[in-house]
Amino acid sequence: MELIDRYLNAVRFWLPRAQEDDIIAELGEDLHSQIEERETALGRALNEDELAEILKQRGHPMSVAGRYLPQRYLIGPALYPAYMVVLRLVILWILLPILILIAAPIAIATAADPTLASIKALWDTAMGCVFALGVITLVFAIIERHPIRELENWDPRKLPKIPARPLKSLSDPKPVERAQAIVEMACSVVFAAFFLHFIWFRNSFELGDAHIVLAPIWRTVLWPMLLIGLSGLPVGWISLAFRANTRLRSGMRIAVDVVTLGVVGVLGTAGTLITFTVRHLPADQMAEATKWTDVGVRIAVAAIALGVLVDLVQEGVRYVRARRSA
Amino acid sequence: MSTEVFENLRLELRRGFLILAVMAQLQQEHYGYTLRKALADCGLAVDEGTLYPLLRRLETQGLLTSEWREENKRNKRFYRLSPEGETILRQLLEEWRGIDESLSRILRKENEHGTD
Repeated sequence: MELIDRYLNAVRFWLPRAQEDDIIAELGEDLHSQIEERETALGRALNEDELAEILKQRGHPMSVAGRYLPQRYLIGPALYPAYMVVLRLVILWILLPILILIAAPIAIATAADPTLASIKALWDTAMGCVFALGVITLVFAIIERHPIRELENWDPRKLPKIPARPLKSLSDPKPVERAQAIVEMACSVVFAAFFLHFIWFRNSFELGDAHIVLAPIWRTVLWPMLLIGLSGLPVGWISLAFRANTRLRSGMRIAVDVVTLGVVGVLGTAGTLITFTVRHLPADQMAEATKWTDVGVRIAVAAIALGVLVDLVQEGVRYVRARRSA
Repeated sequence: MSTEVFENLRLELRRGFLILAVMAQLQQEHYGYTLRKALADCGLAVDEGTLYPLLRRLETQGLLTSEWREENKRNKRFYRLSPEGETILRQLLEEWRGIDESLSRILRKENEHGTD
């Protein structure tokens, strides 16, 4: 019966300490009853293969123990779709493009050993994704355990009125989808973590063999940038808590867009935004690389400005329409 | 695919009835193994991985009582329906009969429409 004891011991490993003796005693009794019945029917003791067969039918020790534990999950079925949307958005559409199209090429192009730099870039990309996955999962796990009270204590009479004409574009005063609001809040937290980690506490960092230094102008816009990043939390919350009030949300978005345009304007009109040095690169190539990197950063700033302008116009129209329909 | 769908729905359907069957069977005292056999003899085979956690849950909810006793030189845990469990069983059976009657009426209507 040594096999039975080993099996029960393996099940015990996965059980909660307060219940393990009780569960194992009962499970052991059930096993012995089954074996005894088989032995009586056969008129002989069971051999090791037959005992192993019975245990195999019972299932793997971990899955047997798992049935005694309450069903637990980190992110429940209600939040899971939003969780997947945020994961896809942050990892596939933000993180991977930045790491693969910008960070990794710079690191590889400026490295003394491109092969080593490629491997390091690949590793950093993987680690970046794992970090993002961890932060997003943590945020959703917290939301799962502290559900937004508004979602439970809702009043059907406060649901948004159906507009008189059909909704055709984003600029209509249509309430923001719940998933979009959650995505907004999660992105805000991810951005704040990214911003604090990479920019807030330092003004220079290493990328491959390159030493990148942020220009002093960045220090003057740190607070506005952090506030812009974190603005997704109150805006998302307002979208969830006051779903019908599109005017309040649009008003906040307009304020955030205006501040963002101010920050982008400050950065766009400043001189050099970043400087970097690479140990082994000759001076002429270094100057060329610095020039093109600065051009790249300026294009990115211009693209952000354009995106913010489009959002500002959309939110402005939405605000006016919401005001009219009120 | 359809076999898998059927199997999932069958398990879902069985889950509720299993609780009813276990509670009904435990109007008489049983220990785990004999309970399993009694259920199997009535045509409701249930594996121990499902039965024992269910017994624990019902006991935690106060619907069963249990005690360890020695029988045939082995310690066994005997279960029985508690007074609260008996009340709940009566209510559940009533509910089940109501559902059964409703379903029968629906199926009868469907058959009548089918023969029209």
